[in-house]
Amino acid sequence: MKEGAWVGTLAVGGLAALDGTPVAQTLASQPLVTATILGALWGDWSTALGVGVVLQILAASTLPIGARTPEDYSVGGVVGAGVALTIAAGAPFEHVRQAASLAGVLAGMIAASLGVPLLRWQRRWNEGLARWCERELRSGHERALAESQGAALVLAFAIGLAATAFWMALARWGAVRVEQESLRLAGAWHLLQPLWLGFGFAQLLHAFVQRRLERAGVFAAALVGAWLVIVAGAP
Amino acid sequence: MSEDRPSERALGRGTLLEMGLRANLLQAAWNFERQQGLGWAFALAPALRQLYPSPETRLSRLAEHTAYFNTQPTLASFALGAAARVEEDRARGNGGDAASMARLKSALGSTLAALGDRLFWFSLRPFAAAIGVLVAMVHPRHGFGAWALWLVYALPHLTMRFGGVGWGYAAGPAVLSGAFRERLERAVRVLAFLGCVVLGVALAWALAPGGEPRPIAVQCALAVGLGAGLLTAQRARPSPTRWALAFGALGLILAWRFHG
Repeated sequence: MKEGAWVGTLAVGGLAALDGTPVAQTLASQPLVTATILGALWGDWSTALGVGVVLQILAASTLPIGARTPEDYSVGGVVGAGVALTIAAGAPFEHVRQAASLAGVLAGMIAASLGVPLLRWQRRWNEGLARWCERELRSGHERALAESQGAALVLAFAIGLAATAFWMALARWGAVRVEQESLRLAGAWHLLQPLWLGFGFAQLLHAFVQRRLERAGVFAAALVGAWLVIVAGAP
Repeated sequence: MSEDRPSERALGRGTLLEMGLRANLLQAAWNFERQQGLGWAFALAPALRQLYPSPETRLSRLAEHTAYFNTQPTLASFALGAAARVEEDRARGNGGDAASMARLKSALGSTLAALGDRLFWFSLRPFAAAIGVLVAMVHPRHGFGAWALWLVYALPHLTMRFGGVGWGYAAGPAVLSGAFRERLERAVRVLAFLGCVVLGVALAWALAPGGEPRPIAVQCALAVGLGAGLLTAQRARPSPTRWALAFGALGLILAWRFHG
């Protein structure tokens, strides 16, 4: 089962790299979606979604506008959930799972940041592909267009898969160390998880409010109203 | 000579559907030099195949279309449809030359990018994420949050992507008429208001999940995160991820200091 989950995680890493930019961009590669798939694969929803929610809220503030190369949360999301699930696999104690969640979120963010130079390299490689394609088309090779698209897709999938494999191997190697330090890391998770959530909510709020007072008022009213309903409606 | 004459009938539904399908690969070979140029030519190829039976003319047009193009990828379908319509006129001898096609692509690309970035990247994507996170927090042991996020974004995205080719083809270069733009602008405003409501509910749930208020330390951490987020959002750099990593490093130092 564990080997199957490993192979599945690598495949999800490759597929997420495809959905991120090259194919369809349906947001199937967003951290919450990939973490949910990995949670089902590994049979541990709680750890996967704990990591997925934090990475999702951070990924939502990262936008691919124009020619900017944003942090690669497609692969970062898979790495985050994958690392956490690898460390938490079979762990009997709650604090080890919390430590694994912290390690997963940190690994996901670092992988997303390190994905930027990788994406830039991939995009430079595609420049050569585009020039080759135009040359070939002008010399009568009509299939060159489909071949270049195919080559670019294979490269994107391979990069996603390789990056995921690297981080999963690192997680297997570092799992014992995380378990040893799990009490401290679980303590840090209790502090950092709400802090990251609040931070991400604020980033999204800023995007929606756009310095308009009436929108800030709507947010405040929704917060107070929902809090009253949630607390008053509790058994 | 007769081989160069384009087909007399307009592009069929099948061709437009194939273009919509291929638009999913618009960014497959995205690069800094031509950006979506290669994907654009790939998506337009079914129309050119039908309009230019002669391989020489067709290949020359295809090579032309691999030049620079960039826009918001969902709304690119509208530009694809409009370009196919202009290519049809061009093939019939009624349209302009390569330079006028390049001007049309440039005008449509920048206008659709301005509209699409606001609608999809700044509004729908954060809104879908907020809905997904809220549902995932309420149901932490099910995949409902992922479904909610995916459906909220992918349904309008795919509808525009597939439908956009047909609408762009029907309207031609006038696809960005006042009514269409107004509808998109209204959608942006509605999503911003709904996003504020969803975030308010999500924050309330994070403070007291299921009506059980969380410990004061957790509520303080949420408040500190919210304050830090609002402050740091005023500037584009450092990116939110870098700030979040810095908070992570600080949290680890504190944990080592006080759990030691």
